Amino acid sequence: MDISAIINLQNRDGGWPYRKGGGSWTEPTVFALLAQSVEKGDAQSIDRGFMWLRSVHRQDGGWPPRAQVAQSTWVTAIVGLLPRDALGRWHHSSAIDWLMGQTGQETSFAYRLRSELIGNGPSGQEPRRGWPFFPGAAAWVSPTAFGILALEKARRYQMGGAIQQRIQVGREFLMDRICKDGGWNYGRSNVLGVDAPSYPETTGQALLALNEMQPTHLEKALNTAQEQAQACQSSEGLSWLQLGLQAHGIVVTGPRRALPCRQVVDSALAILARAAIDGRNLFLE
Amino acid sequence: MTNGITRREALAASAACLGLTRCSLVAGHQPLPRVSIVRASYSQGLYDTVRRLLVEHRVDVRGRRVVLKPNLVEFDPGTTINTHPMMVHAALEGFRALGAAEVRIAEGPGHRRVTLDLADAAGYFETIPQFENLFTDLNVDDVSQVLLRDPFSRLNSVYFPNTALAADLLVSLPKMKTHHWVGATLSMKNFFGLVPGGVYGWPKNVLHWAGIDECIADFHAAFPRHFAIVDGVVGMEGNGPIQGNPKPVGVLVAGKDMMAVDATCCRIMKINPGAIRYLRLAAGPTRLDEENIRQVAEQIKDVQTPFELISQFQSIRL
Repeated sequence: MDISAIINLQNRDGGWPYRKGGGSWTEPTVFALLAQSVEKGDAQSIDRGFMWLRSVHRQDGGWPPRAQVAQSTWVTAIVGLLPRDALGRWHHSSAIDWLMGQTGQETSFAYRLRSELIGNGPSGQEPRRGWPFFPGAAAWVSPTAFGILALEKARRYQMGGAIQQRIQVGREFLMDRICKDGGWNYGRSNVLGVDAPSYPETTGQALLALNEMQPTHLEKALNTAQEQAQACQSSEGLSWLQLGLQAHGIVVTGPRRALPCRQVVDSALAILARAAIDGRNLFLE
Repeated sequence: MTNGITRREALAASAACLGLTRCSLVAGHQPLPRVSIVRASYSQGLYDTVRRLLVEHRVDVRGRRVVLKPNLVEFDPGTTINTHPMMVHAALEGFRALGAAEVRIAEGPGHRRVTLDLADAAGYFETIPQFENLFTDLNVDDVSQVLLRDPFSRLNSVYFPNTALAADLLVSLPKMKTHHWVGATLSMKNFFGLVPGGVYGWPKNVLHWAGIDECIADFHAAFPRHFAIVDGVVGMEGNGPIQGNPKPVGVLVAGKDMMAVDATCCRIMKINPGAIRYLRLAAGPTRLDEENIRQVAEQIKDVQTPFELISQFQSIRL
């Protein structure tokens, strides 16, 4: 699916569906807009897309996954990846404020106290604070990676130690979740004493979010990501790996067989990955 | 309600909001649930076997809309993680032959994002003609909010995909597997895949915090028009549902009562169904008893084979 096919899938309300014929969702709308900013986009389509996003912005500062869902979620972080001036300053800054207030439920005082009382308490060590997909749930690798990337962009507009500190804590969460094989799983690196395998998409996202880390700290991860790229079975996974590796100066092409793009998000990601390989990594601008 | 929804979908979704909540069947006031255990193989006669099962259970789907819900988890076609594609195709053909107006295949995997990539790698495109046209990715389908009346879990409402809500019959097609959080994953646990990742994330961790067993019981009640065929030709034992080992059993287990089907599967796996918390929650104290389920075709003792259990679940051994 090229950029014109993506534009053609835009719904009448201005948002994009995940797949042809569906209703508008926040995630594909953001990715369709991002893709249009690295390829020749359609000005009217872009305006309508931003208008849709502003129309579903919630009063608490966050974004719902789609208009009908009465809850702000992780998609707020990907909205935060959009250019502030195009989205609107107030919309952008309230998204960042919402993100700053989110953390995995496992780090809440109530949960930690309960864990201590039933004997499952951790070592008294300060918990690693990532981001959840949905408020009230635990933190996971993907939303944490997007949270970091959104705050890195916001850091340019909102000076202050709080954002930088939250980025740092998020990075510590990701470093804490590296799997034994060097990449990242969706969640923990070990479940019930068994090592969890890493996945291409989460490994790519984590490497992208760790773009400011020294390569020496990520040597194994970078090697694993390159191996994953050669064996990757989905365009989405390959694109994230390409974006993550490019953030560390490594370009990979992926397996010989072409991987099909099947919906708006993986098609937009493929465009963003190609742009990164050509030297423009939009996530890091 | 979303744009692009048909009147039929709207009606079904509204019905779900109003009344598709906990079933209150009381054992003793209903005929005993029938559960079939039939020997099966992927290489011989699977299509006939599935068709016979549907006929024997008098599944009336004439003019109805049927949604098949397989268990699609991982890319690797060489493992036993996913429901075998031939099993899904056999069910598709079987329901079509019985006169269903429409048969769709739908799934919302728990952690992989692009479900069609997963289905492709798992052999679904190769096995099922026109698969892409028949398939709905439940993670990104249009959704409606469904209120749960008197739920077991901490959830008061759940967003469910309209494709599932509009089904006249939802057919659970899981793999017979052990599960490292709940002991066994069978037809009821398979309904976790109805919950849209597009709303709740990948994985749908909200459900874990609301109580996995409780959510399984709630979702079972929220979709009362169901049928189950469990793919036990080759199951998974040990550290399921992803990292376990293949376990050949050579059976399909089917019936209209998913609690009874799952209890029967547990007995085949030499797991005490009364020790599976979600079954106990949904079924109550006596309904899972062997004498309260009418087994047909093979007897449990003739196909029973102990599934390896991880240390945390040794206590559920039958």
